[in-house]
Amino acid sequence: MIRVNNLCKTVVTGGQQLDILKGISFEIKAGESAAIVGASGAGKSTLLGLLAGLDNASSGDIFLHNQNISVMNEDQRAALRARHVGFVFQSFQLLPGMTALENVMLPLELAGHRSPAAAAHVFLDKVGLAARSGHYPRVLSGGEQQRVALARAFAVNPNILFADEPTGNLDEHTGQRIVDLLFELNSQSQTTLVLVTHEATLAQRCGRTLVMHDGHLREDTAGVSVAQ
Amino acid sequence: MIIRGLRHLLRAWRGGELGLLGFSLALAVAIVSGIAGFSDRLSRSMEQQSHHFLAADRVLKTARTIPDEWLAEARSRGLRTATVASFRSMVYAGDAMQLASIRAVSEGYPLVGELGTSDELFGVASAQSAGPKPGELWLDSRLFALLNLTVGGGAEIGDQKFTASQALISEPDQGNMNEMLAPRGMINYADLAATDVVQPGSLVSYRYLFAGDESQLDAYAQWLMPHLDEGQRWQGVRDGQPAMAATLKRAEGYLLLAASLGVALAGAAIALAARRYGERNTDNVAVMKALGASRRQVLTHYGVQLGLLCVVAIILGGFGGYGLQWALFSSLQGLISVDVAAASWRPFVVGAVTAVGCTAVFAMPPVFRLSKVSPMRVLRRGNDEDGAGLLAGALSGIGGIGLLMWWYSKDILLSTTVLVAALVIGLLASVLVLYLISVARTLLINRAGGAFRIALAAVYRRRIGNAFQVASFALSLMALSCLGVLRTSLIEDWQLQLPVDAPNHFLINIQESEIQPLDTFFLQHDLKDAGLYPMVRGRLTHINQQKVSEIKDIDADSGSINRELNLSWAKDLPDDNKLLAGRWWPDAESKNTGVVLVSVESDLADKLHIQLGSELSFNIGGQLLNAEVSSIRSLDWASMRPNFYFMFPPNGLENYAGSYITSFYLPAAQKPVLGELLRQFPTFTLIEIDTVIQQMNTVVSQVSTAIGLVLILVVVCALLVGVANVQASLDSRLQENAILRTLGASKKLIINGLLMEFAAVGLLSGLLAALGSNIALLGVQYWVLDMELVWHANVFIIAPLIGVLTMCVLAWVFCRQLLSKPPLVILRQTL
Repeated sequence: MIRVNNLCKTVVTGGQQLDILKGISFEIKAGESAAIVGASGAGKSTLLGLLAGLDNASSGDIFLHNQNISVMNEDQRAALRARHVGFVFQSFQLLPGMTALENVMLPLELAGHRSPAAAAHVFLDKVGLAARSGHYPRVLSGGEQQRVALARAFAVNPNILFADEPTGNLDEHTGQRIVDLLFELNSQSQTTLVLVTHEATLAQRCGRTLVMHDGHLREDTAGVSVAQ
Repeated sequence: MIIRGLRHLLRAWRGGELGLLGFSLALAVAIVSGIAGFSDRLSRSMEQQSHHFLAADRVLKTARTIPDEWLAEARSRGLRTATVASFRSMVYAGDAMQLASIRAVSEGYPLVGELGTSDELFGVASAQSAGPKPGELWLDSRLFALLNLTVGGGAEIGDQKFTASQALISEPDQGNMNEMLAPRGMINYADLAATDVVQPGSLVSYRYLFAGDESQLDAYAQWLMPHLDEGQRWQGVRDGQPAMAATLKRAEGYLLLAASLGVALAGAAIALAARRYGERNTDNVAVMKALGASRRQVLTHYGVQLGLLCVVAIILGGFGGYGLQWALFSSLQGLISVDVAAASWRPFVVGAVTAVGCTAVFAMPPVFRLSKVSPMRVLRRGNDEDGAGLLAGALSGIGGIGLLMWWYSKDILLSTTVLVAALVIGLLASVLVLYLISVARTLLINRAGGAFRIALAAVYRRRIGNAFQVASFALSLMALSCLGVLRTSLIEDWQLQLPVDAPNHFLINIQESEIQPLDTFFLQHDLKDAGLYPMVRGRLTHINQQKVSEIKDIDADSGSINRELNLSWAKDLPDDNKLLAGRWWPDAESKNTGVVLVSVESDLADKLHIQLGSELSFNIGGQLLNAEVSSIRSLDWASMRPNFYFMFPPNGLENYAGSYITSFYLPAAQKPVLGELLRQFPTFTLIEIDTVIQQMNTVVSQVSTAIGLVLILVVVCALLVGVANVQASLDSRLQENAILRTLGASKKLIINGLLMEFAAVGLLSGLLAALGSNIALLGVQYWVLDMELVWHANVFIIAPLIGVLTMCVLAWVFCRQLLSKPPLVILRQTL
């Protein structure tokens, strides 16, 4: 489902060249769940952005759903995301001008879904927020906002779900509920899950853990890195 | 797509992001269509009002009668017509007789305006919509006095007897001073033949009056033109009344300038609001893109949203504009005596085009920039600010404003002058602000106190935004100062020409021996004359030894050829005259060479092809005088002072019998004194110009009020720019201040810092605006309004003061909310 070959990302900041990713290769199969862990500044978010086609790699190839996104332009990558990818962010990223329902409808509309409102309702119901479909993000709590974001992510039936610190802005209890919901929806839809996290418990719920360190990635089979 | 777009528009509106942009757009449409409609209708009303000066909308002047078919053609086109024949004739009453200027007026005269007559000599006028009936004669009050006639008495002109039934107090087409020299009488055109005064070869001039719709008049003029010969002239109000034309032209120029600046300011407000709209949507676009939206989808999404917003703004703004026109005219009700010209569609088209233009030029560039936002922003906030894009946006905005102004004013010179001044000021402001900020930071950052350091740090962080802010606010202040100064100087200019106690009566034909008795008379009646001017009556006969009547391509109807002119002499150039060419009496030459020098008025010199050095011959009471043109002067026709086409040096006319002219102010209540004056000095010629002055004053006060109101509208536009300006930096301030407060900064400290920052922006904007407006004003005064060039130093105090006050008040109003929200709430929202 996801295949990465010798991926490099170099940026120039303050006149200096900075190698964030130094030749990363790995593969995640369909239906697998993988956590990317590592210290702050290790390049986790950069890797996630590249995997989702949000940014261009300096070199190397990324195959998503058997398509090489490294050779695609931005619009082609966007089209691929619209069909196959869902997103959950740390800061929820709901559009403030739209109600909960409209936020869930947005990716459905972008993908050209025939009845976006009905489909969005179904998913809001799944996350337990059907009653609040007409509410704006500013009147929802953090946990509720992230549930709307989960509904939005799963509404398009994505093949791959990328989650960036999905519990980073939530208290422990709420975070736990969100993680439960995330994995429940994931198992229902058999989605390939890639999530970036600091939290050991969250990483341990994934089938695999990939550790980022100094621009390199390695498989953590013992779960030691996360615990550190 | 439209329905989806509407749904999105509604969502965005509810989200509060489109509020300011939509409001600015609608207000721009309202203000632009309001000003456009108001000035359009006002200028048509003023034109209508000024048609009173012609007693018609158009006049055909000719020395002969015209074929009846020409009048029939006019009537068949729906025009109203009337005929006026003017000639000089003796009026007899018993043993007394007096030369008078008589007008025979047909049914329908006056087509526009009213006549004023009274049962008493020099009495209060009552309005008459038609001239005298057959058999009736209306005479000037002074003619009654000169003929020892009472109202209702009998008088004769030629072979016809008349009843002198009314004293003629005012005529709408009173004409200029020269036409008012002789006392006047008016009879019905039907009586003209019976007088038998007009014979073939008699000196009669005819004025054929026409009134109707502009389109009908234009169509008729097109039909008529090929039929006219050289001596026949088709005139509108501007051709016949140079003083009125100058006033109207300046007023129109002003309204046009005001509306153009209104457009420019509204554009700037929209640009600022659109920039904020773009900034606030940057994160949204990143999310949309991360969720799979293509660039095209983003463009369509926001394009449709803006398009629909534009349509809504046009509709709402159109209604607003109509309301504004209505409100403006309601406040002028007392002043405008004629019916307000009907509203036309043009202002709404102007409003709609402004909205579409502003959306395309100002709001679309931020949307284009939005479509380029990187989706990576959802994971890591980067600085998406694209310097080149901003510059391109600013340049396209300024170009757009220029195009809008040009399209609206149809005056490339006006729009270029304003635009170049704006560009210079904008660039200067940006460069200066960036320089000052970096200098201030280097010098003061470690020495300044708390609030000042916060202000300085904030200013530095937002230096690009601040440069933009100062530039746009300076430009709006500049527009305001330009209009404010121009309004004041225009009105002062007019009032200077027509002070309340300006002489409103002229006396001519005063002999040297009568000066002393006249002084005594004035003293007895508590009147004050404005000094005596010498005057000799003479006729211009030859130019460069060629008979004037034989010179080809000279307009025989120039008025100055076929009649006697007032020649005068003076040692110094009269105050309101300007020397355009040559020199004013070089002493040595006039004394030594024996050549008599003469100075000629410039318009007449053009008409008669007179140049410096031309030799002119005058016939003065049968004696010939040759003179050489030594200078060409321009006159201020709007003044009510005696103006002379030809002026000589003090010794130039010493051998010719002359008389004196004086002028004096007579309050309306003292009018009966005139009868007494003329009885005591029967040889004096009295010219009453009080009604003309009154007409001028009405127009001036009307125009002054109107431009004052338009100025208020432009102030609203400028305030809008200020609001947009403050709001533009609100979001970043929100977060910044929350962090400062979390770190322990007191509200007072933050407020002081904020006020200092905005005061600095206001001060700099004001200073730059003062400089820019002075530069722009020089251009506008010189090229557009044809006024004297004046440097306005007081703007350097007023503009910065207004700048500082406005900015501080706006900052206080809009930024208070920054401090009323708990910092945690703000930080959560903006994380």
